Amino acid sequence: MSIISLTIDGLDIEVQEGTTVLQAARKAGLSIPTICDHKDLSPYGACRMCVVEIEGVRGFPTSCTTPVTPGMQVTTQSEQLSTLRNCTLELMFSGHPNSCLKCPHRELCEEERPQATKAARTTRCGFCANRDECELREMALDSGLNELDLPTIYSAHKLERDDPFMDRDYNLCVLCGRCWRICEKIHGKPAINIIHRGKWARIGTAFDKSHLDSGCVFCGACVDICPTGTLTDRFARWQGKPDQSVATTCQLCPQGCSVQAQSKDGQLQAYTMPGFDKEDRLCLLGRFGAAQILSSSKRITRPLVREGDDLIPVDWDYAYQTISQGLLDANGTTVFLISETTSREERYLYARLASSVQGLLLSCTTEAGPDDPKIQELAASIEQGKVKAVVTNGFFISKEILNKTAFSLVIDCMESELLETAQAVLPAAVLCETQGSYRSADGTVKQLRQCSQAPGDARPEWQIVCSLAQSLGKEGFEFDVLDAVTRLVDNDAPPAALEKDPRENSREIVTRFRGHYVADIVPSLAAFDVPVTLANDAGDGRKKGFALLEKQEIVPNMHFLTIEAPQVARFAQPGQFAILMARETSERSPFTLVDWDKEQGTISLVIEEVGRSSRELASLRAGEHIAHVSGPLGLPMTIENTGTVFLGGGCYGIGAIYPLARAFKEAGNRVICAIEAASSYLLYRQDELAEVCDHLLVGTKDGSLGIHGGIAEIVSAISKQEQIDQCVIIGCTFMMRMVTKLTKSLNIPTQVALNPIMVDGTGMCGACRVSIDNQTQFACVDGPIFDGHSVDWDELALRRSAYRRQEVQALPQTVDLNALMHSHSGGCGCGRKND
Amino acid sequence: MPGQSTDSSLISLLAEYGKERENLIPLLQEVQERFQFLSPEAVRAVADHLDLSENDVYGVATFYAQFRFVPPGLHHIKVCEGTACHVRGSDHILEAVERSIGIKPGQTSEDGSYSLERVACFGSCALAPVVVVDDKVHGRMTGNKTQKLIEEEE
Repeated sequence: MSIISLTIDGLDIEVQEGTTVLQAARKAGLSIPTICDHKDLSPYGACRMCVVEIEGVRGFPTSCTTPVTPGMQVTTQSEQLSTLRNCTLELMFSGHPNSCLKCPHRELCEEERPQATKAARTTRCGFCANRDECELREMALDSGLNELDLPTIYSAHKLERDDPFMDRDYNLCVLCGRCWRICEKIHGKPAINIIHRGKWARIGTAFDKSHLDSGCVFCGACVDICPTGTLTDRFARWQGKPDQSVATTCQLCPQGCSVQAQSKDGQLQAYTMPGFDKEDRLCLLGRFGAAQILSSSKRITRPLVREGDDLIPVDWDYAYQTISQGLLDANGTTVFLISETTSREERYLYARLASSVQGLLLSCTTEAGPDDPKIQELAASIEQGKVKAVVTNGFFISKEILNKTAFSLVIDCMESELLETAQAVLPAAVLCETQGSYRSADGTVKQLRQCSQAPGDARPEWQIVCSLAQSLGKEGFEFDVLDAVTRLVDNDAPPAALEKDPRENSREIVTRFRGHYVADIVPSLAAFDVPVTLANDAGDGRKKGFALLEKQEIVPNMHFLTIEAPQVARFAQPGQFAILMARETSERSPFTLVDWDKEQGTISLVIEEVGRSSRELASLRAGEHIAHVSGPLGLPMTIENTGTVFLGGGCYGIGAIYPLARAFKEAGNRVICAIEAASSYLLYRQDELAEVCDHLLVGTKDGSLGIHGGIAEIVSAISKQEQIDQCVIIGCTFMMRMVTKLTKSLNIPTQVALNPIMVDGTGMCGACRVSIDNQTQFACVDGPIFDGHSVDWDELALRRSAYRRQEVQALPQTVDLNALMHSHSGGCGCGRKND
Repeated sequence: MPGQSTDSSLISLLAEYGKERENLIPLLQEVQERFQFLSPEAVRAVADHLDLSENDVYGVATFYAQFRFVPPGLHHIKVCEGTACHVRGSDHILEAVERSIGIKPGQTSEDGSYSLERVACFGSCALAPVVVVDDKVHGRMTGNKTQKLIEEEE
């Protein structure tokens, strides 16, 4: 191949023949914006951001699809090119929510809310899981384009949450085509493609089949290559940008795939592919399961020793002492049941320990469980008294058989029925919580590197085995570093290869990890017809409780619910709230009463889908039931005739100010209502509000309707025109805080409805503690309405975010997702129809 | 809806075509001509024949306005949404039709009497906005006129 010389922006460059102009420019250190281009994909020319000028060439060719020719004179920056690129970007943004980019409060808001709100639909950067990694946003900020003149047209595509691992929101898609192109590159026949045409074009499957039926094997490549927040890993989605990426090996099956482990704050987010080539692909268990296994709520976190019927948490030293005594007292053969997917070093040490106690080591394959024939033989030996003690590093034996031994020790990461009969249990660090080496089925030795913190007191097994051996008085286990063990491992046998490749077919994944059914640990895996012991309780309780008469997503993320609750309706007053539990097992969450009808015995609420509880409520359908509704709670708003009352509502507050407006109006006040939203398409109930107030004003953060800005801008404008005697603000903490700061300077008495974390709603638990004028008050019984100028906002913000991490972790575990999973019309045969 | 995959005429139709990708559109056209529409089974069979993903085939088929995915109704209504028709208010016509028969473009009414299709251009721009019912072209249409036309067909 020959070398070609060309000039780009006046620089003389030499590149190989066949190089594209874009690649040549990059080689020369020049940056050309592009969104559809990716180093691992062939040129596509879809986004048209990378246009350049080439002397003697008509028009503006895309640099990604234009090969270099000798003597080519290329210009990458000019006024005309900037105009063109900005127009393209503007068009792209007209189909992609962008209000944050134009919001006058962006910087303040990002400071106040360092993490994105975990909304169902992304309607702005602040609601986008991909905010910190969005290539589109980066491109817009780089281009200095702050004037987006075209309005956002929200496509209102249905959220796709009908498979176990991915959330897909095609309202964010800019049709760069990276997803289906990488799918085609890796798998040959893509599971997705661009369907339809023109403004209806989108990424989809044939006849909108679920990905479970479209040929998708859930390798996750599309999620990892998507430049926007369209395709996301449901588990990792809200955890933020990974802060560590380590090359390691997946130990979930004998395949031993190389993976790039992504973690944040010492917690694994996902195993991702080390590259975007066919040989890099992963199976769904590795890609989506590993992180969920590590973060499972069933992890064993402390050493436990049996005392009578109970397992008592103890410290490690006591545990080792008790266990060595137990093994000595058992006075007979000890059998070690060790998983083949344990690291080489640990298998070596287990074997060494087994031989030093004249015991026996049985290697358990990936698919081995308590029903394995080898275990049946072992059971017989135990019955005959030939085997006295068992040490197992997984659920390889039933609790009944384990109970027949004189002593039993479980060294494992996950709870199982074995905890009912084991004499001692030690918590193990597994997968990328530990290090070492792994021999894959093809014989290759691969590195295991650590990038995730083990939970609680869990320790790597190599340390556990060494300490235990020393406690037993055995020599040859004095290892301080793992490398010393690694050097001793020689000629270890590779684990037996799998018969079928789970990367080719999602139904071929291994069904067990250390003897536990993987679907017991990651419930959504049940979608792949793998065995599971736990019953799936989706749909439980949907038939009992308070009837949900109406449920409508009035604007993206905002659900309007009308519930039959006569007792609540009978006593409801403006400013009060109700606590809802979607199901018996749900959290209690408070929502302001938006309306009620004493005669009909109904209440109405607006619920914004921003977390687990609200998602559970949002996933209910009219005709189903809400497990619990308690209310009315909180003190009603004091309604007096004060003159001119200004009511400001944002997000769910738009609904919440409605009963207040009506009451203030009835009391003879002049009522001014102001509502704000990121963009005009997110405003709702304007007609209803207009009926109960004298004046309705609208503010949008992108300027698409009314005043460019929010409640703060409206208050400031109105206060110049007339006197405001009273201000009531309901919305997010950031907005209320900003507005109260302003009204304080304007000397307007202001009340706010606070929204701290709340549990019982009756003043018992203290979760909703807020500081008003340095006095502790409970929002549930002393509020929720307080003097806005006396609130300790910093404390409120801090307390509200206290469970942020748990809130994020709770999201993918909500069982109701299984209900959402089955909301598709074809393929699964469940008979349930789309909305 | 009869399962076309078991239909021997579909199998023999496929057999007439080679397995090259360029046969995709002619093949889809012939399947539609024979069966009036492209069923999921037919798309799958075409994909298998050409060794393509059915998602690819569906992507191609949905790109072209000529392909239907549900059986057409007794009367097939096409509303032009081309540039000339669009600027002369074809949106209102489409809305009127949608309202009066209660279906969206690409759908067939439950009783099977009508199907609705949105078409990019008929080339009769001088008559914009244009509605075609069962291959008869009606020019300079309005929502009301279209509604009357539908009532007359009943």
